[in-house]
Amino acid sequence: MIEYRDVVKSYGGKPVVKGINLTIQEGEFVILIGPSGCGKTTTLKMLNRLIPMDSGDILINGKSIKEQEPELLRRNIGYVIQQIGLFPNMTVEQNITVVPRMLKWDKERRRERAKELLALVDMDYDTYAHKYPNELSGGQQQRIGVLRALAAEPPIVLMDEPFGALDPITRDSLQDEIKDLQKRLNKTVIFVTHDMNEAIKLADRIVFMCDGKILQAASPEEMLRSPADDIIREFMGKHVQRVHMEDELTCSDIMRHRVATISPQRRTLECVELMSQREVNSLIVVDDDRTYLGIVAIEDIKDRGVAGETICPLIRTDVPCVETGQHAKEAFRLLMDMKADYVVVVTPDKKLAGIVTKSSMSKAMASALWGEG
Amino acid sequence: MPWDRVWEHFTLVMTALGFIIVIGVVLGVVSYLYPKLSKPILTIVDVMQTIPSLATLGIIMVFMGGNRRTVIIGIILYSLLPIVRNTNSGLNGVSPAVKEAARGMGMTRLYQLFHVDLPLAFPLIFTGIRIAAVTSISVAVFGTFVGGGGLGTVIYQGIRVSSMRQILFGTAALMAMALLIDGIMGLIEKRLYRRIGLQMPQE
Repeated sequence: MIEYRDVVKSYGGKPVVKGINLTIQEGEFVILIGPSGCGKTTTLKMLNRLIPMDSGDILINGKSIKEQEPELLRRNIGYVIQQIGLFPNMTVEQNITVVPRMLKWDKERRRERAKELLALVDMDYDTYAHKYPNELSGGQQQRIGVLRALAAEPPIVLMDEPFGALDPITRDSLQDEIKDLQKRLNKTVIFVTHDMNEAIKLADRIVFMCDGKILQAASPEEMLRSPADDIIREFMGKHVQRVHMEDELTCSDIMRHRVATISPQRRTLECVELMSQREVNSLIVVDDDRTYLGIVAIEDIKDRGVAGETICPLIRTDVPCVETGQHAKEAFRLLMDMKADYVVVVTPDKKLAGIVTKSSMSKAMASALWGEG
Repeated sequence: MPWDRVWEHFTLVMTALGFIIVIGVVLGVVSYLYPKLSKPILTIVDVMQTIPSLATLGIIMVFMGGNRRTVIIGIILYSLLPIVRNTNSGLNGVSPAVKEAARGMGMTRLYQLFHVDLPLAFPLIFTGIRIAAVTSISVAVFGTFVGGGGLGTVIYQGIRVSSMRQILFGTAALMAMALLIDGIMGLIEKRLYRRIGLQMPQE
């Protein structure tokens, strides 16, 4: 278990971490995320004392990290950085076993470990062990970077934007691998990123930081459902809307607001005139305070309409109708099942709010899926 | 033909070079580990090279007398600069990512120096050694004026007795020695850079 207690750090009088309190359970995959300059990397690097804290304390299994020699502490905490930082003068095997060598493992054991680790990422020992880092691709290099961090079986692994410099496809497969390894080996991972996709994909818990403070620490699902702050909402962008679509998208989210309406006192000819102007074959009938009364359709005027009379007797009320707060699925179901051209949306006090058409519906879904359309 | 003078010159240079490497690398490492000392060390070494080598030898001779040892000290003082400077910039030039990784893995300062920094800086240090070797060969020529012997003696005698043969022999031997050492070390250097996947610096 890792506990941050009121951890504070400033650079040249400028505070970057302003009193962090955070408890991380064993085997948890925690992602620190936030806008740049939010203090997430500093928070990470204080754990292995690469950055000294000003005040507060960090405990690992109840023991303060300040009581341990920084070098000995670091040998028990895996560390992976964005720029990979493999040692160019060492072979793959030497790179992987650099910490075991400092821990004075004998040669046989180191070799066994290197074989074991390479097998974890499906790299053949005989092919790769004696290559130098510059002979590997970026993705392979970072795989070795990860293995190097895991080599001495540290219970905790720190990762500082480890996949930030990789191309999207490599990044994706490495994310899968790391998640798999973390679960399989039951490591506690603290992972810094600014990529919300990555956070949602990997994290057991996302810790959102901003301006040196933790704004929210929650599971990805919970953070998506109820982001604690507008910054978080903004950061999650399209993901928030996607969740809305799944269970919170309402009829008012998907309706069209501008609707051709008519008052029941109008006469039939005026009504036909308005329909041809608007190029529609029906109009929504509302009274003066926009209370919804029904619709009037061109067929009804043609069949039963009398010139000069009001449209009042021709109003139909059998059109599908939903309330603004109702689930969007309901409007969708009506639209599909009743083969209607549109569904009328009314407010709880029966005022006209808008209509849902097939095109307004697909537009709303598109923007929910792919962001602001 | 005074082949013994060629050998004498060669051993003079190699002895001096041995000291230069040790002193130069140590000064370079110190200037890297203690950045505050870096400026004074580099300045002193730099100034020493601006003093004409003959004057350096003369000054040393006043204290040490005219002998081989004086020449060796002179060569050392005069040729330190490239090694100190290259050691310093080689160590400082190790990529920050590699250094951070080294620290993050739990290496102590010295462990990192010997297992990461120095191996990575070695090609550049070697370039410094190569430059120092070639410089030493020509500085050692002045050794004859302070009783150090070497090929300088051959050339100087040639000048005094107007023997073109002697002058040419001395000069040719010097050039051959410089080219040979430079060439061999150049080859080694290329392999060193290739091994750690670095670009050869443009000279």
